[in-house]
Amino acid sequence: MANFNIKKRIIECKIVYYGPGRCGKTTNLEYIFKAYKKHVTGEMVSVDTEGDRTLFFDFLPVGLGQIKGCDVRVQLYTVPGQVQYSSTRKLVLRGVDGIVFVADSLKVRREKNMVSLKDLQKNLKEYDINIAGIPLVMQFNKRDLAGKELPLMSIEQMEKDLNRQLKVPSFPASAITGQGVGASLKQCLILTLKHLQKQFQWGQ
Amino acid sequence: MNIVKKLKSLLGEAELYDSQGLLSDAMAKYHSALELIKNNDQLNTRQHIIDSILQKISELKSKINKIEKAPKTQELSSSIQDLIKKLFSYSADKDKDSAAFEGAITLAKFGQYKQALKEFNELIKNDRFRVVAAKNIIKCHVALASIDEAVNQYRQWLDSDIFTYDQLYKIRIFFEGILDKSAINKSLPQAKKPTDIKMPEIEEDETLDISSIAIILENGPRKGEVIELDVSFQSGNIISLIISDREKELIESLNVCEFDNIQFYSSIAMFSASGVISSISEIKTGHRKGNYNLDIKIKSA
Repeated sequence: MANFNIKKRIIECKIVYYGPGRCGKTTNLEYIFKAYKKHVTGEMVSVDTEGDRTLFFDFLPVGLGQIKGCDVRVQLYTVPGQVQYSSTRKLVLRGVDGIVFVADSLKVRREKNMVSLKDLQKNLKEYDINIAGIPLVMQFNKRDLAGKELPLMSIEQMEKDLNRQLKVPSFPASAITGQGVGASLKQCLILTLKHLQKQFQWGQ
Repeated sequence: MNIVKKLKSLLGEAELYDSQGLLSDAMAKYHSALELIKNNDQLNTRQHIIDSILQKISELKSKINKIEKAPKTQELSSSIQDLIKKLFSYSADKDKDSAAFEGAITLAKFGQYKQALKEFNELIKNDRFRVVAAKNIIKCHVALASIDEAVNQYRQWLDSDIFTYDQLYKIRIFFEGILDKSAINKSLPQAKKPTDIKMPEIEEDETLDISSIAIILENGPRKGEVIELDVSFQSGNIISLIISDREKELIESLNVCEFDNIQFYSSIAMFSASGVISSISEIKTGHRKGNYNLDIKIKSA
């Protein structure tokens, strides 16, 4: 849940990158840390295993500067994607204001994407949050593998699998090259700040 | 598809999945490639390729094994633990002790049981959190699979004077519940009941002796009429009244559940209160046979 310090005119909000294991959530944050250094307000912290799988979360604080008279600060998190870390995902998701759902474009991960989206829906429900009501964007990651004779799902297929009912903004991306990373985050931030503006009646 | 092309495709996929950390998917592709070669003896360097794939499968198995054997959680550095407390405790507006308690709980939720144990042991010194900290200490030991240590800790508490008898009782019941759930057969010693423990004084009933009531009838043929009834018996806040069989119509008028404003008369005071009719029944025996007994429970003044 966003913090709005009226006295100091500071808004702090939380964006979580969600998705199945090895889909590129941490790679997203690593790219943002490198490419948007001037906005990063602290070190990126990764709590992971030896095999560089996220164990608990990644964390990256970002500042957006002044918007409508308020200093807007964003905390970016990732969750561990492996199935067995469901309880950790729920802990990290607490107080979330916006979500980037990172889907893996590899055909072999199709089912994992859908299971992960269902898991997100379930965890949000436990916080009385409807997935259709929270700022959410979809990122179809690993598009850099297209055209290399590798079994990749089409964007149309991924839209059908994951976004048919939600109809949220979606972005083809490659977290390794950075394609679509900034655009996904920007749109998520726009949706989140609009949502918070309504909530706090900020700027009115 | 040409077998060589198919083989290259499978091996290419396997390598990609391996590089992406999708080890099970990589394993499946290597096995498919192996199957393809075994069923086809036309390839020149068949045996070399088979050996190469088997080597890859062996390396994958080691990687998978290493991941599976890795501890599900690990104790992190103190700086990360502090960050976890800062990011996930949500205790900014709480007092220092509550923030400390929530911090310890957060650490336990993130599997940082050793540090959580240290912090709960500090919280035991605080009367506000003593029992709940003790329960969480037990939970941490259970999570660390150190039941014996939990039992030893409990015994230490029994021998110390940190906890009262009542507190130890609550802790023991809690611990026994955990042991039962985990199907662990361990009996826990009970705290010695202090000999000088004072039995609570039995307080005398403070309800007034009510002699009669007055009710304004809200429906029926006598609506609006104030009727007075004598109390035949009282038990705590439930009064019993006798209504004559000649006043059967009154029973129908009293056929509502609740009265908001009943006047109650006692020898020393008069007061208004709401009351609920808890029962109306015909008296079947005795000299009051044929009359009706009405029980009213006094609700609030």
